[in-house]
Amino acid sequence: MNSKKIDFKKILSKSQKLWILLIVMLILTILQPGVFLTAANMKSILLSISIYGIMVCGTIFPILLGGIDLSVGAVAAAAGAFAVVQIVKSNYSTSGVIIGVLGGLLLGVFVGLIHGIIVSKFDVPAFLITLASQNIVYGVAQLLTKNNVIPCMEPASFAFLGGGRLFGIPFSIIIMLTIAIISYVLLNKTVLGRNVYAVGGNAEACRLSGVKSKKIIILSYITSGFTAAMAGIVLASMNRQAIAKAAQGYDNYVLTALVVGGASLMGGEGSIIGAIWGAFLVGVISNGLRLIGVTSDYHGIVKCIVIVAAVAFDAHIRHKNSGLQKSNFFFKKGKKLAKEGGSL
Amino acid sequence: MSNQTLLKMEEIEKNFNGCPVLKKVNFEVESGEVHALMGENGAGKSTLIKILTGIYPKDGGRIIFDGEEVHINNRSDAIKLGIGVIYQELSLIPTLTVVQNIMLGKEKEKFGFVQSKKMREEVIELINKYNFGIKPDAIVETLTIAQRQTVEILKALSEKSKLIIMDEPTASLSSKESEALFKIIEQLKEQGVSIIYISHRLEEVYRLSDRLTVLRDGVREALLNREEINPSDVIRLMIGKDLSESTASNNLRVANTPVKLKVVNLEKKGVFKNISFELHEGEILGFAGLVGAGRTEVMRCIYGADPIDSGTVTLDGKELPRSIGKNIELGFGLVPEDRRNQGFTPLLSIEKNVALTNYDTLAVGGFVKEQKEKTLGNKMVDALGIRPNNSQIPVGNLSGGNQQKAVLAKWLSRDLKVLIIDEPTAGIDVGAKDEIYKIIESIAKNGASVIMVSSDLQELLRVSQRIIVMRKGEIFTEFSSGKITQEDILMAESGILTKEAENNEQ
Repeated sequence: MNSKKIDFKKILSKSQKLWILLIVMLILTILQPGVFLTAANMKSILLSISIYGIMVCGTIFPILLGGIDLSVGAVAAAAGAFAVVQIVKSNYSTSGVIIGVLGGLLLGVFVGLIHGIIVSKFDVPAFLITLASQNIVYGVAQLLTKNNVIPCMEPASFAFLGGGRLFGIPFSIIIMLTIAIISYVLLNKTVLGRNVYAVGGNAEACRLSGVKSKKIIILSYITSGFTAAMAGIVLASMNRQAIAKAAQGYDNYVLTALVVGGASLMGGEGSIIGAIWGAFLVGVISNGLRLIGVTSDYHGIVKCIVIVAAVAFDAHIRHKNSGLQKSNFFFKKGKKLAKEGGSL
Repeated sequence: MSNQTLLKMEEIEKNFNGCPVLKKVNFEVESGEVHALMGENGAGKSTLIKILTGIYPKDGGRIIFDGEEVHINNRSDAIKLGIGVIYQELSLIPTLTVVQNIMLGKEKEKFGFVQSKKMREEVIELINKYNFGIKPDAIVETLTIAQRQTVEILKALSEKSKLIIMDEPTASLSSKESEALFKIIEQLKEQGVSIIYISHRLEEVYRLSDRLTVLRDGVREALLNREEINPSDVIRLMIGKDLSESTASNNLRVANTPVKLKVVNLEKKGVFKNISFELHEGEILGFAGLVGAGRTEVMRCIYGADPIDSGTVTLDGKELPRSIGKNIELGFGLVPEDRRNQGFTPLLSIEKNVALTNYDTLAVGGFVKEQKEKTLGNKMVDALGIRPNNSQIPVGNLSGGNQQKAVLAKWLSRDLKVLIIDEPTAGIDVGAKDEIYKIIESIAKNGASVIMVSSDLQELLRVSQRIIVMRKGEIFTEFSSGKITQEDILMAESGILTKEAENNEQ
C-alpha cells in the first residue's frame, strides 16, 4: 500500500485514454493524408464535440450517483424547438431570443427536477424514468415543431450561439469550456460535488453521516437537464433550424463518452476531464467515418463497435495493470474471512 | 438414536496468515443426532463448518463421512455427499415459488422443456413426508422468515442431505416460530437426519441437543453428552475459568455526572419495546445481547435513522428531532455495525470521508476550503494513528482496524456529545482492537458520552462503566455496580440471572 505506487497507476490508466485517442487519430491521418489532420477539420471536430461536450458536463452528475439520464437527446431537441418556435413567433426579435433561450433552459431544468423527485422520493430506477421521459419529451419536441423542420436564420444574436466567434474561437466551444469549468468547480470545489461523489460511492453511509442525499440527487438531475437543454439550443442555433430528431442518438453518445472517459456506471468514479476526453474520442470517430466516406447509415453501427472495443480495451488494460486491484481483492477477502470467522 | 458415526473430523488444522485458528480439532456426529457446536466469537466454529462445507481448504487432518475418507474441495462436493447448510442470511430467490426454489439447479427436463408438474409432485411428496405446512406454489417473498427457513430445510432434504448444519437458525424468529422449528428438528431426527446446531442461545441448545462440543481458541474444550450438559459448566468451558476471572469487571458504577441522554419507553412494534435508560455525561454504557436482541435497531432509532412507534429521546432535557442531520448538529454520531456498507465511502480518501460530516465548518458559501479540509484530514490521521499515515488513501484500501479509525475520525473531528458505536471491533485484529478501546476511552474522558453495542464480552467488560443486557427486544437487566464476569453477561443474554446479577439488580 504505497501511496506513490497508487498515483503512478492512476497516471498510467489516465494516459491509456490518451493513447487510444492518439492511435485512432494516427490511423485516420494515415488513411486520409492531408484531410484529417488539417486545421479546418480539427475545427469541425471541435464544433461537433461542443454539443456532446456541453451534455457530458451535466450528465456526469447522475452517472456519478450511480444513476443515468437517457433523456438528454430528447431534452436537447425539445429545448431547441422551444427556443426556435418562440423566436419565430416573436418575429425574430431579441426579446424572443431571450424568452426562447431562457424558456428552453427552464424546460430542461423542469424535466431534470421531475427526474430527481421521482428517483429520490419514489425510488423508481433512473433507467426506467429517464427512458420513459425520453419518449415523452421527444413527443413534446414533435408537438412544438408540429413534426416540421422550422428554419431560423435570424436574428444574429441567436445565430451567434452556435455559429458566432469570439476572438476567433467558435462561440459554442466557449460555451462548452465555460460549462466544463463550472462543472469542474462544482464537482471538485464545492460541498455539492463532494457529496455527489460520496453518495455515489455509498448512499447509506452518507445518509448516516447526515448528508441530504435527496437534495443531492434532485440537483444532479437538474444539472443534467440544464446542460442537455443548453446543448440543444446551441445545436438549433448551429443548424439554424429546429427539428424533433435534432439530437437523436445523443443519449448513447453522451453515455459512451462518459464511460470511455472513465466514469463508472456503478457511481462514485469519473471526472470532467475524462468526460471531455470521451466526448473528443466520439467526435473524432464520427468525423473519421465521414472522411473515409462511410455512409451515414453505417455510422451508428461502426461508432458503437469502435466504442465497445475501446471500452473493452480500456477495461482489459486496467485489469491487467491492476496489481493493486488484485492485491486489494485478496485483501478484502482476507478481511471478509476474518469477519466471518468472528461472526459464528 | 443409532450409534452409527456419520461424520468424523480428525485433527483438523487451519491457519490464517500463519495464525492457527483450528488446532487439531476432533469433531464427530452420529446419525440422527442433534449435535450442538458452541464457542465464543472467534473460537473456530465458523472455520470448522466452512472446512466441512468446502468453502475453506483444511491445512491438516482427515474428514470421514459415512465410513469413507472424503475430500471436500468445494460447495458442490459437500452437497453431493449430503451435507446441507441453512445459512443465517437465507439464500432463496424471493420472486420464485417454493417449488422453483427447491428444484433450482436440478430442474427436471424432457427434450429441453421443464417438467413443472413432475417437479411439483416431487416437492409435495417431500413436504408430506416431513409433514411441513408449506404451500408448494407460494412465492417465497410472501412467506415469513420462519417459513423461508423451512423451504431452505426442504431444499437441503431434496438434495438427500444426511447432515444439515443450522447456523443461528432462531436469530430472527419469534418464540412461536422457534417452537415450530424445534418440531421440524425433531421430525428430521426421527427420519435419521443429523443436525449440527450452532447457537448462542443456551436454552435452545440444552433443549435440543443430544451431544455438545465446545470449542475455545481453536481447541476442542469438551465433548458432553446430554446428561452432562449444564448451563454454567458450558459457559465456563466456553470462556475458560481463568480468563473469566481475569477479565472480570471490578469497577462498574453509575457515573455521578449529569444525565445527558434520556430514553423513555421507546417502542418499535415487533422489534423492541419498553426501552428506557439514561446515559450520563462522559460515561461509556455497554449494550450486551444476542444476535437479534434488538440492540442495533434501538440505536438506529435513537440516532434518527429509523422511525419509532412511540417513546421519547431527550438530550439535556430537550426532545430530539427525528432527523439525522439535526441530531448530528446537536452533537450525535453513529459508528454503524456494518462498517463496509454503512460506515464509509470506500473510493474516497480518508480526508474526504472525514470531511463528509464537517462541511458545516469546512465550507463557506458552498465552496470547500481545501486547505482546511486537508489540515483536518491530516490532523485526524495523526490523532488516531491511522496507518498508512496518509490522508489521501481511499478508505476502502485500509485494513479493518484503520477503516474503523477513519469512521471514528468522522465523528471525533466534530464537537461530540453522544457517540453510538455498534460492534466497535468486529473483524479487527487484536492489536488494533486495543487502539480502538483507547480511542473510545479518550472520547469519554473528553466529556462525550458513549453507547457501545458489542457481542464481545471481554470488550464489554473492559471498556464499559455500566452494562445493559437486551433480550428479545427488551431490556433484560442492567449491571451497574460491583464485580461481574463474562459468565454473568452470557447467562443474562440467555435469560438467566446469576446470583451476582440478582444482587446487582437490587
